[in-house]
Amino acid sequence: MALFLAYDPSTNPLNTNEWAFPVCEVLHILGFAVAIATINMVDIRLMGIGLKKESAADLWKDTFPWTLGGLALVLISGPLIFSSDPNMYLRNQSFRFKLTMLAIALVYNYTVHRWAALSGKSGSVGFTVGLLSVLLWVSVIFGGIFIAFV
Amino acid sequence: MPPEFIQALQDMALPTALRESAIVFPVVLSLHLAGMGLFGGMILMTDLRLLGIAMTKRPVSEVVNGLRPWKHLGLTLTATCGILILWSKVAIYYPNPYLRIKLALFVAIIIHALVFRGVYRNVGQLDRAPAIPGKAKAAAVLSLVLWISVLTAGRWIGYWEPTKPVVPVAQVN
Repeated sequence: MALFLAYDPSTNPLNTNEWAFPVCEVLHILGFAVAIATINMVDIRLMGIGLKKESAADLWKDTFPWTLGGLALVLISGPLIFSSDPNMYLRNQSFRFKLTMLAIALVYNYTVHRWAALSGKSGSVGFTVGLLSVLLWVSVIFGGIFIAFV
Repeated sequence: MPPEFIQALQDMALPTALRESAIVFPVVLSLHLAGMGLFGGMILMTDLRLLGIAMTKRPVSEVVNGLRPWKHLGLTLTATCGILILWSKVAIYYPNPYLRIKLALFVAIIIHALVFRGVYRNVGQLDRAPAIPGKAKAAAVLSLVLWISVLTAGRWIGYWEPTKPVVPVAQVN
């Protein structure tokens, strides 16, 4: 915290270059579009509402590198955006909500969601695991947008 | 379009209520982004499958046909929210060049869909083809370029400001 309080973002290229900030935002959206859509593909299968020609385990394996790549893009562009004004973000209630939900969603994805996918869960267990995953990731997006509105 | 018409469109009850709501406006904006998150990436996965880059263990038809209804659902959600956002501030957005670029890109996307309709409709042929034909690859590359351009233009809308009319010094005070 003290580190951020002492940090002066006025010389940060994200604030001095007209293009840097929106480019980071575009990469952030592109990253979460790939990451969350590929996670959602597994969720759709777990919920039993589509993509039934492939097993949840195969979908997990097929999308795995793309989910990881999308998350990498998000986790690089996100901290860059954060660095443009750390003190504002740290004080922002919506940002704190977003980061909490992101941490929960990431842990959930590689524990519960992974287990359900690899063991091919269906029925009410599969449905609940998939639905929770969708809700967790949507809550992260809502948290991100509401940063500008709280 | 005449500015009076654009202003009247913005002043209608629904867009005014949306614009003035501290909750509903950001909720619609969040749903616009949630649509991109949940379903937008499926466009990229479809195109990357056609290019033989992603999900190569699965037949092309399985990926393209399996994702199609979900992409349509996502497009419906994202477009509905996008139209509501635009409508609520249409007089403000109307002169924005990036809005115009974004709308032009949508026209290009419709043309793309018409030109390459055969590729996506008869995707079963690609499963039997020894290699993915050039036309299908061209469709995929163009689709990737168009959608990433839409995303970029959309984000740039927020950064454009109209050049302020020069106010004579005498009027400032």
